[in-house]
Amino acid sequence: MLGRPDIRLVVIVAVALVAVFALPMLTSERYLLRVFTFVGVNVIIITGMALLFGYAGQVSLGHAAFYGIGAYASAFAVINLGWPWPAGVALAIVLTAAGGFLLALPSLRLKGHYLAMATLGFGEIMKVAFVEARPVTGGPDGLSGIPYPAIGPFEFDTAGLAYWLVWGVAAVALLLAYNVVRSRAGRAMRALHGSELGATACGIDITGIKVRVFVISASLAGLAGALYAHVVGFVSPSTFSLHVSVLLVAMAVLGGTGSLAGPVIATVLLTLIPYSDAVIPGLSRSALETIQEWQEDIYGLTIIAVMLFVPGGIGSLIRRMAPGRGEAR
Amino acid sequence: MSSESSAALEISGLSAGYGRVEVLRDIDLTVARGEMVTLIGANGAGKSTLLKAVVGLVAPSAGSVRLFGADVTRMSPERAVREGLALVPEGRMLFGPMSVEENLRLGAHTRSAEEFSAERDRVFELFPVLSERRGQSAATLSGGEQQMLAVGRALMAQPRMLLLDEPSLGLAPRIIAEIFAALETLRSRGITILLVEQDARLALKHADRGYVMRTGSIALHGAADELLANDDIRLIYLGAWRGEGE
Ligand SMILES: Nc1ncnc2c1ncn2[C@@H]1O[C@H](COP(=O)(O)OP(=O)(O)OP(=O)(O)O)[C@@H](O)[C@H]1O
Ligand SMILES: [Mg+2]
Repeated sequence: MLGRPDIRLVVIVAVALVAVFALPMLTSERYLLRVFTFVGVNVIIITGMALLFGYAGQVSLGHAAFYGIGAYASAFAVINLGWPWPAGVALAIVLTAAGGFLLALPSLRLKGHYLAMATLGFGEIMKVAFVEARPVTGGPDGLSGIPYPAIGPFEFDTAGLAYWLVWGVAAVALLLAYNVVRSRAGRAMRALHGSELGATACGIDITGIKVRVFVISASLAGLAGALYAHVVGFVSPSTFSLHVSVLLVAMAVLGGTGSLAGPVIATVLLTLIPYSDAVIPGLSRSALETIQEWQEDIYGLTIIAVMLFVPGGIGSLIRRMAPGRGEAR
Repeated sequence: MSSESSAALEISGLSAGYGRVEVLRDIDLTVARGEMVTLIGANGAGKSTLLKAVVGLVAPSAGSVRLFGADVTRMSPERAVREGLALVPEGRMLFGPMSVEENLRLGAHTRSAEEFSAERDRVFELFPVLSERRGQSAATLSGGEQQMLAVGRALMAQPRMLLLDEPSLGLAPRIIAEIFAALETLRSRGITILLVEQDARLALKHADRGYVMRTGSIALHGAADELLANDDIRLIYLGAWRGEGE
């Protein structure tokens, strides 16, 4: 009933996959790999945000908190409890899934701005908790010396290995999300976005869908946190502030609704802005500093421009280029 | 599970409201199998609230709802749909950005994928214009086409009982006639219908029986032609007939 994936889509995805995974073999520049590893971490988070915001139409201004919970949980489990990294990841996922369940509860009663405020409150509370829970989080100074991700005796201890690990996880997350949006549940999610009452009248369990999509998106953010902490080796509360939540929403808005590819492209673009020197060779130091200084404004202007000129975001541009197909079917 | 003698829908002593505000008080209403019954009343009388209470969108504070003999009081809306109850909500509540076909697919959410195309074709047979518009997004349809899609979407769940909330609202007489003709067809297929209407005369012309609602309670009920002839009704509810001069 869903049809087979279009051949063009398969080709594009295959080429993108090869390009992404070949990068560490084409360059040995650590900085470039680090930057793109960071892009991959954000892609994992945005995969969940795309489901939550772009498909189910639920706003969250608190997802940076899940990112943080995942990072601290995994770092704490590995450093202080001596757990192996995969167990730290599991803890990160369990905690953030539970958090996602809790955050879903207001979504059952609140919509739009009110839900945004409730999730914003959650994010702010967690930020305070990150600062105050010194024994676990190291307080405002954060945690440093977090060991590399390791599976058994194998350590992902070079920039290239960390890159592959993160993008491997991102690819799996995207594949799972792709299967979700093409399923009956994915269509029901989009229906929720269209009209909750209409969806209910169709016999769609909107409570169940909201809870599931919050849990999935929260645990993807938690998973990304557990990767970030160990790849970077250092975490502090500022990494998980409101600013990050807003950036995530910006990526989701720029990416557009009812699309996975759009938000992924938006994430790559917006994540690269402060690291423009990694992708633009010969970019002068002062130009980079200007970009970094104006970073927030660039995000803000991007959102305004998208709202004005391409309300459907990058996703709608993709659909326009390839009419009659796409994930949104 | 249900005896043949039981009514399609049996509402008894039903009270319901929003929060602490009670809107419905002690409602009794029965629809026999295969019947078309209409519920009329002024704006704000509580007609939509009654339909919502029946499908589980509003929780009743007292009373019961039975569907083909089975108790469905306080059942979740998604269970109610599975039990054979479908609602065409007030204001249609379509999925605007999605195509006609996708809206129909969502209507069949509780049904297996194999049943989809046969059921969709039955809807297209009922409303051929939807077939021509199948790839078009619901938001770009005309008002009449949207109402047809709303009815079609409800039918995709293969209901035994259909609840409609003001399907004629804002539509031209020709389109209204088309929709009511479709309702007659559905009734001839054995689907039981409870129809909420503002246009009392139109509704009573098509229905077998009617109930008149006044501020949250049933003021009177009876055979449709009796209600049409009733002087009080003529004065109060049919006085504001739209489409006067027939
Ligand atoms: N969601 C709600 N919250 C609170 N009160 C509501 C809500 N929906 C309806 N009401 C109130 O319940 C009463 C009945 O409303 P309802 O929509 O059932 O009337 P109606 O008979 O369908 O009217 P109309 O013909 O205008 O559609 C009204 O007084 C209305 O203000
Ligand atoms: Mg109403």
